[in-house]
Amino acid sequence: MLLVEDSMTREVVTVSPETRADEALALCRERRIRHLPVLEDGRLVGVVSDRDLRSATPALGDPARAAALRRLRVGEVMSREVVTVRPDEPIEVAANRMREKGIGCLPVVEDGRLAGIITTSDVMETLVFLVGANEPGSRLEVLMPDRPGSLAGVAGIFGELGINIVSVATGPRQKFPDGDTPGRVAVFRVDTINPSRAIEVLRRAGYVVLWPPQGS
Amino acid sequence: MSGRAAIVHDRSLEEYGFGEDHPFNPLRIRLTLELCDALGLLDGYDFLAPEPVSEEELTSVHTLTYVRMVQQASRGAGDPERLLDYGLGTPDNPLFAGMHEACSRVVGGTVLACRLVAAGEAEHAMCISGGLHHALRSKASGFCVYNDAAVAIALLKRERPGIRVAYVDTDAHHGDGVQWMFYEDPEVLTVSMHESGRYLFPGTGGVDEKGRGAGAGYSVNVPLEPFTGDDSWIECFEAVVPEVLRAFGPDLIVSQNGCDGHALDPLTHLCATTRLYEHIPRRMHELAHELCGGRWVALGGGGYDHWRVVPRAWSALWAAVSHRPLPERLPEGWLLEHAQHSPVELPRLMRDDPADYPPVPRIKEIEAANRRAAEAALKTVLHLIRR
Repeated sequence: MLLVEDSMTREVVTVSPETRADEALALCRERRIRHLPVLEDGRLVGVVSDRDLRSATPALGDPARAAALRRLRVGEVMSREVVTVRPDEPIEVAANRMREKGIGCLPVVEDGRLAGIITTSDVMETLVFLVGANEPGSRLEVLMPDRPGSLAGVAGIFGELGINIVSVATGPRQKFPDGDTPGRVAVFRVDTINPSRAIEVLRRAGYVVLWPPQGS
Repeated sequence: MSGRAAIVHDRSLEEYGFGEDHPFNPLRIRLTLELCDALGLLDGYDFLAPEPVSEEELTSVHTLTYVRMVQQASRGAGDPERLLDYGLGTPDNPLFAGMHEACSRVVGGTVLACRLVAAGEAEHAMCISGGLHHALRSKASGFCVYNDAAVAIALLKRERPGIRVAYVDTDAHHGDGVQWMFYEDPEVLTVSMHESGRYLFPGTGGVDEKGRGAGAGYSVNVPLEPFTGDDSWIECFEAVVPEVLRAFGPDLIVSQNGCDGHALDPLTHLCATTRLYEHIPRRMHELAHELCGGRWVALGGGGYDHWRVVPRAWSALWAAVSHRPLPERLPEGWLLEHAQHSPVELPRLMRDDPADYPPVPRIKEIEAANRRAAEAALKTVLHLIRR
């Protein structure tokens, strides 16, 4: 779970360095994609985006644009230093690589062969499923001591009340309101319309429920 | 010309509930109807008792497998583990004996109300036990076992081919069940205004949920910020609801009138008062007369401050449905009878005093965000809706 191969697109639309810019742009339009891996003899040699192609030619409305797009070849504008990812790498590695390099997609390469492509939208979709935002639930933010057993304590309270946990994510460290106790925030999606009893028990057990706020 | 209103109810509808300590408690219905009665709002009206819907009618929107599960649960049979997969036997939807029959009767109430209005036998009708908007095709959810409004709309469509129904849901929770059941249907417009699903159950109801395929544009969602009060809520209602209803041109309007957006409600984080719950029915009434010869069916829904909020909010609803002015004070008799059982002090006036509900902090930001949501909702659907 949560590997690149679980989220990537396997049927990749590719071009060759000899593909004309107008043909490549038409592909992007028809398939509603923005990035095309460039293959030569089955080997990945670059990536070209619709933006690379557009910005290399005269602006929209310029009469010289159509001719320039016919003349220009993908190989002339593609990025040759391609940042890639392996299918067995965790999705957070792919996400972080895209973030650090400021790019929107990574070709997925296995044994030197193009196995797929993963984009920011794929990562977003994974996030939606990961936090269970596609299933009915209430969202609770709980600040718990950053100590072994805290998460089990919260989960145990839900368990005893018969409330199913749809998803849980824990965040970076954060201090308790006393400014002293080291804590960590966990975001739960729980399958109930009525979390009030759980919130009451959590507060009594010493956890800080950040959302919903007290008294509302 | 104001025609005849009908109230669909029977004591047997009050068997749908999950017990004393559960928020969804038929006490809400009892207190409401007793208040209406004490206010004289029921004078000249007899309750019209519904029949339970048949299994065949339920399967107009639910799967037969799910109905079978509810039937088993209803008579104490069925594998508890398996029932859980259908949302049955959770803390939200605990099992109770006779749940299939009780809920089938509630569905029957909404179906009867819709049939009376569609046939012109009543101009408007109310079934206050209805409004179980979270029930899904194959799953009980959020206190709702069967989806009465969805079954009633599906049956109307079957019995009157070509009928166009607008469903307007102002419960604090997103009307997800009804929305999903008609998500690809351009003959049913669903409009839901609710507290944003960012924190609140069920989590759906974003502006982008606009319907799919032929139904694109026919699901309208206006998520409101937590702590939204009357002014901003009414502003967004007025910005969106009349406009989308006019664009659609319904033959009949069904409203779900959950009143759990009130500041006192324990399950949500909105800050409305009785002003909102007087405004909405009055406007639904006017819009029904403007757009579809007055054909309007009003349902209940959520509302978990059983003593102070629900009886007053839903009495205001019935007053609008039955063309009666809303009295100012709660009758002494009703107060006297219930003060001894109520765990909270009962209000003496039908309308909240705004002074008791001071504006919340960050109100400007809340109003601005709601305005953006209303504009975005219109922009998302209006160009897609055809009459």
